[in-house]
Amino acid sequence: MLATEEAVEQMWGVTLDKLYDSEEGRRILSCIQCGTCVGTCPHGEYMDYPPRRIITMLKAGLIDEVLASDSMVMCVNCYACQTKCPRNIRLTEILLPIVKEQSLLQLETMPAELQKAIENTFRYGNYMGESARKRTQWTKTSKIPVRILSEDPRPVDALWLVESDLSYHPRGQDVARATVQIFDAIGADFAILGNEERSAGDCGRLSWEPGLSETLIDYTLSILKKYTYNRIIVSDPHALDALNFRYPMFGFSDTVEATVSFVHRHLDMLRPRLTKTLKYRVTYHDSCCLGRHNKLYDEPRELLLAIPGIELREMVHTRENSICCGGGGGGMWLDTYYKAKGMERLSDRRLREALATGADVLAIACPYELSRFEDAVKVAGAENRIVVRDIMELLVESFGDN
Amino acid sequence: MEHTNPTDAAPWRPRIVAFFCNWCTYTAADLAGVSRMKYAPNTRIIRVMCSGRVDPQFILEAFARGADGVLVGGCHPGDCHYVEGNYKMLRRYHLLQRILSDMGIEKERFRLEWISASEGDKVKSVINDMVEKLTGLGPLALPDQRAEWDREMDILEEKMSVAETAEKEGTHA
Amino acid sequence: MKENGEIRIGFYICHCGVNIASVIDVERIAAYAATLPGVVVSRHYKYMCSDPGQELLGSDIREHKLNRIVVAACSPLLHEHTFRKATENAGLNPYFMHMVNIREHGSWVHEDKELATGKAQDMIRAAIRRVRFHEPLEKKRVPVLQDVLVIGGGIAGIHASLTLANAGKHVILVEREPTIGGHMAQFDKTFPTLDCAACILTPKMTSVKDHPNITLWSYSEVVKIDGSVGNYTVTVKRKPRYVNEELCVGCMECIEACIYKEGKWPDEFNVGLSKRKPIYIPFPQAVPPVPVIDPEHCVHVKTGKCRDTCVAICGDRNAIDFTQKETLTDIKVGAIVVATGFDIFDATQIPYYGYGKYRNVYTALEAERLINASGPTGGELLLPDGHKPESIAIVHCVGSRDVHYNRWCSRVCCMYSLKLAHLIKERTGAEIYNFYIDMRAPGKSMEEFYNRVSEEGVHLIRGRVADITPQALPEGSDQGGYLGKLVVQAEDTLIGRVRKIPVDMVILAVGLVPQKDAEEVRRMLNISCSTGGFFLERHPKLAPVNTFTDGIFLAGACQGPKDIPDSVAQAGAAAAEALALIDAGSVEIEPNTAYIIEEDCSGCKSCIPLCPYTAISFDEAKKKAVINEALCKGCGTCVAACPSGSIRQHLFEDEEIFSEIDGLLTYA
Repeated sequence: MLATEEAVEQMWGVTLDKLYDSEEGRRILSCIQCGTCVGTCPHGEYMDYPPRRIITMLKAGLIDEVLASDSMVMCVNCYACQTKCPRNIRLTEILLPIVKEQSLLQLETMPAELQKAIENTFRYGNYMGESARKRTQWTKTSKIPVRILSEDPRPVDALWLVESDLSYHPRGQDVARATVQIFDAIGADFAILGNEERSAGDCGRLSWEPGLSETLIDYTLSILKKYTYNRIIVSDPHALDALNFRYPMFGFSDTVEATVSFVHRHLDMLRPRLTKTLKYRVTYHDSCCLGRHNKLYDEPRELLLAIPGIELREMVHTRENSICCGGGGGGMWLDTYYKAKGMERLSDRRLREALATGADVLAIACPYELSRFEDAVKVAGAENRIVVRDIMELLVESFGDN
Repeated sequence: MEHTNPTDAAPWRPRIVAFFCNWCTYTAADLAGVSRMKYAPNTRIIRVMCSGRVDPQFILEAFARGADGVLVGGCHPGDCHYVEGNYKMLRRYHLLQRILSDMGIEKERFRLEWISASEGDKVKSVINDMVEKLTGLGPLALPDQRAEWDREMDILEEKMSVAETAEKEGTHA
Repeated sequence: MKENGEIRIGFYICHCGVNIASVIDVERIAAYAATLPGVVVSRHYKYMCSDPGQELLGSDIREHKLNRIVVAACSPLLHEHTFRKATENAGLNPYFMHMVNIREHGSWVHEDKELATGKAQDMIRAAIRRVRFHEPLEKKRVPVLQDVLVIGGGIAGIHASLTLANAGKHVILVEREPTIGGHMAQFDKTFPTLDCAACILTPKMTSVKDHPNITLWSYSEVVKIDGSVGNYTVTVKRKPRYVNEELCVGCMECIEACIYKEGKWPDEFNVGLSKRKPIYIPFPQAVPPVPVIDPEHCVHVKTGKCRDTCVAICGDRNAIDFTQKETLTDIKVGAIVVATGFDIFDATQIPYYGYGKYRNVYTALEAERLINASGPTGGELLLPDGHKPESIAIVHCVGSRDVHYNRWCSRVCCMYSLKLAHLIKERTGAEIYNFYIDMRAPGKSMEEFYNRVSEEGVHLIRGRVADITPQALPEGSDQGGYLGKLVVQAEDTLIGRVRKIPVDMVILAVGLVPQKDAEEVRRMLNISCSTGGFFLERHPKLAPVNTFTDGIFLAGACQGPKDIPDSVAQAGAAAAEALALIDAGSVEIEPNTAYIIEEDCSGCKSCIPLCPYTAISFDEAKKKAVINEALCKGCGTCVAACPSGSIRQHLFEDEEIFSEIDGLLTYA
C-alpha cells in the first residue's frame, strides 16, 4: 500500500516519544499481537525482538532493552511485515526505522562492510568509493550517445537518475547501456546528470543514517534545481522509494517514474523492435520497493511477455508475497555479519525458488539483485542452469536489428 | 439589532447551518454520536424528512442571518427514501451555487453531501473539513454587510435629497 | 404568521445520567431558557425518559397550562415517541412537543464543554422559537394487510416463517435456490452440542412444506417492492424448474434416467466438490423434494433434440414440463422479514494462503461437505488423490479482523474451527493444528467446548498464519495443482518462535461476508447497510431486528455474522415484531404530509412531475393542484418547489423552519 500523505509527513524525524502524535503512529496501539509480521519476516526466526515483540516491549515501557540488542540490524526493509499486517501498522515506514537507527547507535562495533559503505557514500556519493569523475565512463561505450546535463543544460523531457550501481558496477553498466537503447527505441527525450550525480539517499540508507541521507537529499535537490525537465526516471527502486516517499518531506513534488513503468507506458512504440524470438523460460523476481511498496507488479511482467518466445514462470513466493533478495535496509553490506550469525543468505534461498521453476533466466528490475543473484548462482554452482538478466537487457536482446 | 457573536471577546468561529435528511444523514449523525466520534462543534443541525424539502430560501435565509456556511446532507443517489428527492436537491444546489457566486459568496460556503446512515465517520470528516475551509475563508458576516449596504443606501439617499433640495432651492432662487 | 393565543412553553433538559450533563452545562441552559419569550417552566432533570421524568412533564402541562413542550435530550429517533405520548397523556396534542438532540449531536461528539453548551443553547433557542408555530395534528391510521413475506429460506427464514404460520398468519416464503435449508443444510454437525445439522434442520424444513399457512416459492426471487408499511406490493420472479411441483412425487427416477449417466457439472450444494447432472436435486432431503433442470446444460432445453428419457420414465405423471416459462407474480403483504443470509469470504483474495492454487487447501465449508456422510466422499476425509491426511492445519481468521479484507470478527469461525478439529480428529486420528489469533468462545457452553477440544490434544497455536508454501518445491512449471505437503508458517507468539509445520491438508476458516447482491437487495427494500455491507438494524441494542423502514424486519446473518442459535433467536424476534404489526390491524402514519392552500395555487403544475408517488393531480375545473394525502409520504419536495408557496407540509412548515434558522443564528 502506498504511503498516505500523513504517513509521509510522519516518517521524517519522528522519534519514539512522538510516535503516537499522528493517526498513523497511533495505529501501533491497535496491534493484536497476531505475529503475522514475524511469521512473514525473512529473518523473523533469527530476531530476538521481531516487530511484534518490539510493539509489546514499547507498550510495556521496555523499549530500551530492544534498542540495546542488535536484533533490528537484521531488518532488510522489505515491507513484507507492513504489507500483511492486518491492522495496516506502518512498520517498515515508521516504527522499524526509528528502532533500527537507535539500535545501530548503541551497537558496540559497527559491521565493517556497512561502516565502509557509509563512509564511501559520504565521501564519494557512492557506496563503492569510486571517483565522481568516473561516473559517466560507461557512456563512452554506449551505442547511443547520452546527453549529460552539466555539459548540455537545455530543457529535457525525462531526467534519468542512473544511480550508483548502474554507473559503476560492470554488470550495472551493461544494464545502463541497455536502458539507453530502450529509451532511444521509444523515442524518449532524456538526459542524465552526469558526474554531478550522487546517490539519491535510498530507503535502506535512510533507515540507519538519517544525517547522511539528509545531506544527500539536500545535495540532489540543489542539483535538480539547476535543470528544466518534465519527469524524473529512476532505475533503482530504492531511489524510486526515496523520491516517492522521502523527498516530498523536503518540498519535492516532481513527477517520478520507475524505468519499468516509463518503458511500459511506451510499450507500443517498443513492440515493433522486439522481433527476435527468445526461447527462454523466465521467472521474475519482484523487488520489494518496486513491488510491495510501489505496487508495480504487472508492468515488469507485461514487458517480459512482450518479448516473442518468452515463457513466464512464477516462483512460489511472488508479487506481494515475494521474498527479499536480502540487499535492502543495508543488507547489501551485512552479508558477513549475517553469516557470522549463522543466517542463510536470502539471495541463496530465493535462487532455489527460481531454480525450482525450471527457468533458465532469472529476470530482475533492481540493480542490487543483479550482483546478489549472480553471486548466488556462483555459490550454488548453477551457472549452467540459470542466468540473471535485467528486463532492459532482455528487451534489447530481442531487438531484431541489434 | 441582535448581536452576531455571543460575546465580542470570544474568538470568531465559523457557524454552519446544516439541513440533514431524516433517513440517511441525520441518522448518520446519530451514529457518529453513538460511536463517540469527536468533531468540530460549529454545526447546528436542522432535521428535514428529505433533502428535497430544503427550499433555496432556507439557505439564503441562513446566510442572511449570519451563517458562514450551509451544509445539506442527503442520501446517496439511488438511495433516497423518497425515491428521488435528493436529485431535486442536487438540481437546486447547482442553480443556487450560481446565484451565490454572483453574490460573492464562495462555493465552499454551500455544500451538498451524500451521507448514508452507516457513514458516521463521513459526518465527522465532512464537518471538520468544512470548518477548516471556512476558517480559512473567514467570516461571511452577511448581516454586517447588509447593515453596511443599508448605510450606503442611506448616504446615497441623503446625497440625492440634498441634491434635490439644492436643485429646488436653485429653481427658487 | 399563524401564531395566535397565549403561548406557554415548558422546557426540559435531560442530564441523561452523565451522558449529557458531563459535557453540557444543563443548569445554565435551563436558566437561560427560562429567560426566553414564552417559556413558563424551565427545568433540568436526571432522566427525562424515566417515568418520573414523564410525569414531571405531564403535571407541569396540567398545572401550568402549558401548550408547547420542548425537550432537549437524546435523538428524536429514539425518544420522540416517548415524549409525544407523555404530552398526549397530559391532554395536549402530541405534536405540540418538539425535541432537541443534544446528546448524539452534542455531548457525545464534542469535548469542549463551553462550545458544546453554546451549541446546545443555540439549538434550544431555535426549538423554542419553532414550537410557537406548531399546530395540533392527527395521526392517520391505515389498515395492515395480514400476509407476511419472508425472503430467504435458511434457518432464520424457516424459523420466522414457522413462527408466523403457527400464529395463524399466512406466510409467503421466497427462496432463490431450488431448496430451502440454506448454509445450515451444508454443515455436518453443529457446535457446541455436536448435533447433526440435518437431523435438527430437516424436520423444520418438512414442517414448512406441510404447513397450511405457508406458501413456499423456491427457485424464486423478489425483484420489486412497492408501497409502505402495512401495504407492500411485491413482485416475485419464479424461475422455471421444468418440473411441475404439484405433479412430481419426488421419486427421483428422472435423475437416474437422464441421458447423462454421470454427473458432469459442479454440484452447488457440495460447493463444487462433486458433479451433478442437468436434472438434479440439491440433496436427498431437499424441500420441495422436486428435481430441477438446469437450462444451461439440459440438452432438451438447449437444443430441443433429446431422447427425453426423463419424460419417458416419469410416464403419465407428466411432471416434466419443458413449457414452463419464467413468470412475474405480484403479491400483497403487510410486513416483510428479510433473512437473506451471508456468503463466505473468497479465500483467493489472500494469495499467500494458496487457495485455488494448491489442491489440498480447502475452505471450512468444503471441509464440512467432505466430512459429511452425504457429502462427495461419503463422509471420509480424503485428499484429492484418495489418500487420508495425517496432519491438518486449520487457519483461523481468514479474511476477518483484517483491514485489507474485512475488519470484523466473523464470530463463528473459532467455534466451527474447534468443531472441525474435533470431528476430524475423531474420525481420522490426524494431528490437528489450529492457528488462531484470539480464541473467541463466548456464549452458552462454548468455553466448555473449547476446553473439551483442548483436552482432546488438538494443537492450538497462537499466531496468525503468515505463509503457506509447498514443502518440496516441485521442479519445473509453477505450482498449480500441487498436492504434496504444505508448510504452514506462523509465529507461535506464546513461545516467541517462528514455526513451520508441514501438513497434508489446510482448512481455511473463512469469515462471513454479506451476500454478493446485498447492495441491490438493500436498495430494493429501501433499507440501509452497515459499513461492512450487512443490513443495518434500527438500533444496535434496542431495535435489533427493525430497520429504518417500517414493516421490514431482519433475521439471521444478513444483519451480521451470527451462529445458528442467535439466528433462530433473531428470527423469532423478527416474527414477533411482524406479528405485533399485523395483529394491530392498522398502523399509524405520521401526519407530516403536504397540503395545498387552494386560494394561493396558481395552477402552474410544477409540483405534479416532482412527486414520485403520483400523489398530486390537477383539478382541471378549478385549475388547481390537488394532493391525495393518502398517497403522500411526506418528503416535502413539492413544498420546497412550489413557486407560489401554496403547498405546505405539516410539522415542517416554512414558518417552523425559518424560525429554527433564525433562532440558531440569533444571539439574544
